[in-house]
Amino acid sequence: MRGLRLPAWLSGRTLLLFAAGLAVLYAAPLVLSMGDYTHNVMGLTFMFMAAALAWNWLGGYVGQISFGHSAMFGVGGFVAARLALELSLPFWAAWCIGGLVAGIYALLWGHPTLRLRGPYFAIATIGVGEATRLVATYWDEFTGGSSGLSLPIGQGPTKYALYWYGLYLLAGAVALSYWLRRSRIGLGLLAIKEDVEAAGDVGVNATFYQDLVLFLSGTVMGVCGGFYASYQAFIDPQDMFSFDRSIGFILMAVIGGIGTILGPALGAVVFVMIQEFLLATYPQLYLGLYGLLLVLVILFEPLGISGLLLRLGRRLGRRPTPGVAAGGIATSSSAAEGEQQPVLESPRPGQGGAA
Amino acid sequence: MSLEILANSVTTAPDRRSAQPPFVRTPPSMAHDDPGCRGRRQDLKPSAAVNWHSTGRGLEMTSKILRLCGQLAVLPIIVALAATACAPSQRGGGGGSSGEVPDTITIGATLPLTGTESKAGARQKEGYELAVDLANEAGGIQVGGKRVKVQLKLLDDTTDQAKAVNLAQRLITQDKVNFFLGTYSTPLVEAQSTVAEQNQIPYVNGGGASTSIYGKGFKWIFGTLASVENLSLTEMQWIKKQQDAGRLPKPAKVAIVWENTSHGKDFRKGIMDFAKQNAGGYQIAVDESFELDGKDFSAVLNKVRAAKVDLFMVDAHLPDFLTMQRQYISSGMCNKVITYGARGAEADARQALGAKAVNYIMSAVWWNAQLGNRGLNKTFVDAFKSRYKKDPEWYQATTYEAARALFTAISNAGSVDKQKVRDALSSLRMDSILPGGTLSFPAATGGQANYSFVVQQNLPDGTSPIIYPEDVKTGDGVAPNPACKV
Amino acid sequence: MGQALSLAVSAVLLAGFYAAMAYGLGLIYGVLRVVNLAHGGLLMASAYLTWQLFTRFHIDPYLAIPIVLVVFFGAGIAMYKGLVRFLPRGAAGGVQSLLLLFGTWLVLRNVAYLLFSGDDQAVRTSYSTAAVRILGNSFSLNRVVVFVIAVLAMLALHVLLQRTFLGKAIRAVAQNPDSCTLVGIDVERVYALTFGIGAALAGLAGLLASTLFAFNPAFGAEEVLRSFVIIVLGGMGSVVGIALGALVLAFAEVFSIYLVPSYLTSAVGFVLLVVVLVVRPNGLFGRREVA
Repeated sequence: MRGLRLPAWLSGRTLLLFAAGLAVLYAAPLVLSMGDYTHNVMGLTFMFMAAALAWNWLGGYVGQISFGHSAMFGVGGFVAARLALELSLPFWAAWCIGGLVAGIYALLWGHPTLRLRGPYFAIATIGVGEATRLVATYWDEFTGGSSGLSLPIGQGPTKYALYWYGLYLLAGAVALSYWLRRSRIGLGLLAIKEDVEAAGDVGVNATFYQDLVLFLSGTVMGVCGGFYASYQAFIDPQDMFSFDRSIGFILMAVIGGIGTILGPALGAVVFVMIQEFLLATYPQLYLGLYGLLLVLVILFEPLGISGLLLRLGRRLGRRPTPGVAAGGIATSSSAAEGEQQPVLESPRPGQGGAA
Repeated sequence: MSLEILANSVTTAPDRRSAQPPFVRTPPSMAHDDPGCRGRRQDLKPSAAVNWHSTGRGLEMTSKILRLCGQLAVLPIIVALAATACAPSQRGGGGGSSGEVPDTITIGATLPLTGTESKAGARQKEGYELAVDLANEAGGIQVGGKRVKVQLKLLDDTTDQAKAVNLAQRLITQDKVNFFLGTYSTPLVEAQSTVAEQNQIPYVNGGGASTSIYGKGFKWIFGTLASVENLSLTEMQWIKKQQDAGRLPKPAKVAIVWENTSHGKDFRKGIMDFAKQNAGGYQIAVDESFELDGKDFSAVLNKVRAAKVDLFMVDAHLPDFLTMQRQYISSGMCNKVITYGARGAEADARQALGAKAVNYIMSAVWWNAQLGNRGLNKTFVDAFKSRYKKDPEWYQATTYEAARALFTAISNAGSVDKQKVRDALSSLRMDSILPGGTLSFPAATGGQANYSFVVQQNLPDGTSPIIYPEDVKTGDGVAPNPACKV
Repeated sequence: MGQALSLAVSAVLLAGFYAAMAYGLGLIYGVLRVVNLAHGGLLMASAYLTWQLFTRFHIDPYLAIPIVLVVFFGAGIAMYKGLVRFLPRGAAGGVQSLLLLFGTWLVLRNVAYLLFSGDDQAVRTSYSTAAVRILGNSFSLNRVVVFVIAVLAMLALHVLLQRTFLGKAIRAVAQNPDSCTLVGIDVERVYALTFGIGAALAGLAGLLASTLFAFNPAFGAEEVLRSFVIIVLGGMGSVVGIALGALVLAFAEVFSIYLVPSYLTSAVGFVLLVVVLVVRPNGLFGRREVA
């Protein structure tokens, strides 16, 4: 640490905790006997965690909410599937190339649109996501159109092995998240999120940084898409590029805690867990539950579940580091208990904050 | 260094920020650039990004990129490690094949009981449950010397592919079901069937009709739904008969308007193949696909009208059928033959459009209750009516037959060994309620049943008799459409 | 030639519906700078309400307009007071408002799903397939009526904004809320009323949609996307801008069949959206807005 006051979840200790956690997860199936089913679902969850983290780079670090990330997910997935089918590339190579193509695609539409701020950008991403879906469904020769693509059974990694590959993917995403956030780039991103023009004034090259993050985000998303293709062995454009999928990433990151690292990871776990448990008893409630969680998070705890955990941690008597900022968005005035929404621009008078 | 302080001050409490000027120090490397008046503040467009163009900046950029690459190099190392590092391999597993006959046979299944296909899913569930109940009432399935009861474990996959796959996984690996009955709708079946194939468990479904499911060379997947290509094929066969009888022109101009799904693609293929085989009989004047839930079909309809076609053949789901037919009728269009694939004869259509608007629409389905006044059909229809107090539709018939086929195959195999049952399914020839009277899963179609569809036509008196094939028809079809004043 | 004319009339009729869809969203964004993503949920809820009024109480959809307007006006105010009020305004609030209202939309979807199941529903009146002749071609009566209602709504909105005191207050708040408190306008109240009016317009659009199309709980997503396109095309400035934006979109969608296969005509809107956002963020007709 450079004597900076980094937020609690970015400290070296937390990183060690993460590494330890990953090691435990690596060894778990070898030591415990989990059912096949739990094992496979965990593998898939790792992928979702990585995807949520990747979304978070753009959504949490830079502050540009993207409603169209399924476009990169799908591009990565289909490129990887095609490569596996046509050229019989080993799966990890297919994933990587799929990821790169997805990253380049993200740059293509992202570079011009990242100029836009806030809702404008979000709306543009909706347009991109939907247009990609329509074009992909139409492009029969590449994606199989509405019939989708099937990977041959027996080729590629088994669902059993995908647990560990998912874990590697997650480890990579976590490492990237830490590196991004703790580097100069991360600080530049924070500055951009606050006020892009002011950031420019102090020498932060907003275009470059945003493009970089978009590229990384798109690439990792694409790799996740490739993973998904290997896992399911069948993908079709209506499912891969769906708006619901984009929404899923947003839900995971926001409910878990946007801008943090633990947040999207937790959010993905919660997302999968809710689906599994609700599946049994109230399958028709999951949408409403997510919606409600989203509303509650935005209104009361902008850092979502990880924010709640942090508050819990602080209340349990851990010495509050002076001026610890609890994350990317929220401020943490230890005096004010009722956490206010971050006031990034002067609010129009006549309206209360959380009054 | 100042960058950190800046960013830090930015993320702490707002009152502190106002006390401190936002720009603390210019970073030394950028001393030669003026951070002051940019003139950009007057730019009213949503924030434009900053662009620096000085050469010194360029050098700075290059070194930054190089540093980045160095830092990023960590990643490929992780990737390489991951790729070469062996993920522990699966401990020996796979389907157990026991020679013993258990006391109950457990059959796993999922269906979309909620979600967009909930209506169809609920009906397909009735088919499965009826078959299971009837089998148990008869004492169970005859397996070897024993009569064994059947237990159905049916879960809701909420019309979600990933859930269908996960649930299938759970049922197969955790709950260790003996066999699997499939879900509804092609994408779900296609996704779920890979699980069954990977785990080598017999999988019979009455909900996936696309040829793409069965064209993958899978050995364990069987389907009672004939391909949608047969739908349009059967309709074209009836049309050909009308042409031969002089009631429809030859060559006939055709407009194909199809929803861009595998269902629509198969529908279109059936027509194209038939047209190719009967060269000179058909001229494809319009061939357009559309996205689901369209708001306005006037452009496509205009094209069809301008082409002055004889046969207007559409494949659509209910919402698009409604929108398109409404616009069709109100724009005064009329063609000699109109069909919307499987739509038109069902009560929903009549109710939504009104009797007049659905007159003379031709449709084709996998099975219809009007087939049912003899033998197996009568048994099925009567049993269904007494249980559910309503008439069965094709949804229930195809799943009923799927379950029945599985039970018959288990009986024929005389054991619950998965491989033996699979072989029995592969060679099955069973009396069936489906058109043609016999159900089999030919290897030539990859395990998909192959039979003619049942063609119906809406008549002004409110009935929809079966008009084709000849051996099951209950009424005569009418062509050309008498409502058209041509 | 007759064909192009027929298509043009179709496009104009379609534009009427599209404009009706977009008014509510545009008004709320223009004044509150909040993107009402629950707009889709309101459209869907209104369609279901109309359907219920029709099937249970046999109230003709077009006659149910006053009921729907009142109900949704109230719902809008409730939504504002209960949810939106707590969000900060301005650029930062924009993103949070997006997510908050999006969450609300999900909840609405689920409620409709629990109450009515996921099946497609449709409102069929005795005149659902009746036709009207315009310029030598026949068009659906429903579409013509929808167009007329949309135009009337536009006029009413215009009158409201230009001629009434409330309208003046709304326009003032849209321009500069800070100064409004200085002149004694209760900004919060104006916000609440605007949200109410926006929701009422969404209710109207949903009612109109129910007479034209089938719907289910997932209804509204595409409509919201199209509304965005229209608002971006037409600029945030005026009701007339929205109407023009709707015209542009409808014409683009209908006439693009001459250029692209009909399947891709639905993608035209989205491509247009992204292009316009990048090239002319204030819309084709909008004024430069003061941030």
